[in-house]
Amino acid sequence: MSEGRPPDPLGRLGEEIERAQAQRVRKEPIAGDRAALQGGLGVGLRIGIELVVAVVVATGLGWAIDRWLGTRPWGMIVLFFLGVAAGMLNVYRAVTGVSAAAGYGRRPESGAGSKRWDDEDC
Amino acid sequence: MAIEIHPLGQFQIERLIPIHIGRLDVSYTNSALLMTIVVVLVTALLVLGTRKRALVPGRWQSLAEMSYEFVADMIDTNVGHGGREFFPFVFTLFMFILFANFLGMIPYSYTVTSQIVVTFALAAVVFIGVTIIGIVRHGFHFLRLFVPQGVPAPLLLLLVPIELLSYFIRPFTLAIRLFANMLAGHTMLAIFAGFAASIGLLGILPMGIDILLVALEVLVAALQAYVFAILTCLYLSDAIHLH
Repeated sequence: MSEGRPPDPLGRLGEEIERAQAQRVRKEPIAGDRAALQGGLGVGLRIGIELVVAVVVATGLGWAIDRWLGTRPWGMIVLFFLGVAAGMLNVYRAVTGVSAAAGYGRRPESGAGSKRWDDEDC
Repeated sequence: MAIEIHPLGQFQIERLIPIHIGRLDVSYTNSALLMTIVVVLVTALLVLGTRKRALVPGRWQSLAEMSYEFVADMIDTNVGHGGREFFPFVFTLFMFILFANFLGMIPYSYTVTSQIVVTFALAAVVFIGVTIIGIVRHGFHFLRLFVPQGVPAPLLLLLVPIELLSYFIRPFTLAIRLFANMLAGHTMLAIFAGFAASIGLLGILPMGIDILLVALEVLVAALQAYVFAILTCLYLSDAIHLH
């Protein structure tokens, strides 16, 4: 284990520290059964309320806009459907594991979210 | 013998020390008292637990270290690179909610997180903080979060409002999830306890259910704190690693 590495112990130490640090950050999201269960429960409890709240908040916002601008009932109708869409979007993202993020600009091959932070991301 | 049952009575706010500044009511309430206890307990656990700085940790020290490592792991896996600088925030949030939930499980105490004011305040801090971090880090580029890539312009007219809405709904879902879980769980406990008290010998049945519910509530208490913290991590990671 001597080829191609700096001969001095300090340089080797530096290398090792870098490697260890890289490993720390690049840990896979699912490390074992316990983590998987935890993550699964977390996701399950998360998405339950996502859809409902999106619809209710959006409709409420529509109602407020209507009251403010006197555009009854259009704000409420439009925002109701937008709220349904936003709620479904949030649920879809939570389930597919691409985080609850807004925005589509992620790498397409990020699949089930298992190799999210592996490379060239930042 | 009639027993009065108020399943929602446990959420009543009582003014312990009435304080009024002008027309503002800033009384010290039972909710504020519980929050104070939570802060004191968390601080005590961490400060006293790590005081000895033993190489081989004792019980309290390993409890403190475990909670530290749990949150640090959570940040590493969910935020990744550059997430560690937000460790203090996420850790504080997690420990506060966890302790508030657990203290609420003690009979005759008060569940702070069953008040939507409290959970919404926490969620609003997360939401505003994350948005500011995103804007500071990326400037106007941050707005790209709302513009899907590779979509024809007419569709953008529809998709941008949806994205905006799904972003601004975050604090509401965050707040309502925690609040609703705690409120529903504790109400259910009180209702079954009320049954047990009012139907005499048969009350053993609802009491058995209540015992199981307590176990469930302990799980929910821990899990909701975990969910709140992990969502904070995910939002942070969105703001830091803008795709």
